Amino acid sequence: MLVRAQQRAVYSLALRMLVRSDVAEDLAHEVFMQLYAKLDSIESSGHLVFWLRKVTTHRAIDQLRQRARVETSSLDEVADVGAHDEGDPLWQQRLRQLVLQLSPDARAVMTLRYQEDWDPTEIAALLDMPVNSVKSHLKRSLDTLRQKLSGETCTKS
Amino acid sequence: MHEELESRLREALRPTTPPPDFAARVMARVVPTQRRRATAAWWLAAGLAAAVLIAVGVQSHLKQQRDIQAGMEARREVMQALRVTNQKFDLAVRTVHEAPGV
Repeated sequence: MLVRAQQRAVYSLALRMLVRSDVAEDLAHEVFMQLYAKLDSIESSGHLVFWLRKVTTHRAIDQLRQRARVETSSLDEVADVGAHDEGDPLWQQRLRQLVLQLSPDARAVMTLRYQEDWDPTEIAALLDMPVNSVKSHLKRSLDTLRQKLSGETCTKS
Repeated sequence: MHEELESRLREALRPTTPPPDFAARVMARVVPTQRRRATAAWWLAAGLAAAVLIAVGVQSHLKQQRDIQAGMEARREVMQALRVTNQKFDLAVRTVHEAPGV
């Protein structure tokens, strides 16, 4: 019941961070295993939501740092994972690819902001970083995305 | 442009549904772990209970040994006292018999 209620958020967060669906699924499994081991320390549903996202994000960042870099070919292969029917699929795929090129911290900030719709204060608490760092990650990432997208538009035209 | 990009990001990064058997596979991994933990807890409790029983048994045996030792000591003292009393009595009888005019 608990897994079913939270699986979508945990799996999506892991997937956006780690790219590969099998790796994301494995990480999500481990997060739920850790949750069951620490279930007694969870105080409320709000705490549960925060705890799951925090553990997932931190574990994903650790994995990304260990991996050092993700090869571009693998980004192309898996950028379609989690595609939606609504909206422009090419745009969505390109945006996901660009987000995957950000640093682990920036990627986590962007995912929490635009997937989970969390505000910078909540993200700062979750990532154990100052609110200003979150805001600057957001600003820099948006600028980078905008530059790359406008560059591509200019090249095409 | 800024808001449009943010809105497109929200669309692109919308939560994705995991595979249909995701929850079942998580539970398949969680349940044996919980069972292992329960078994480990049972063995720990059983071990502790056994240790307490052994400690109580050893303590009881030692007390019994101490009691037996104390009883033997008391018996030895009583026998010694009886022996001394008997010697004194013999001496008194002998003195009375050997006294002139008896």
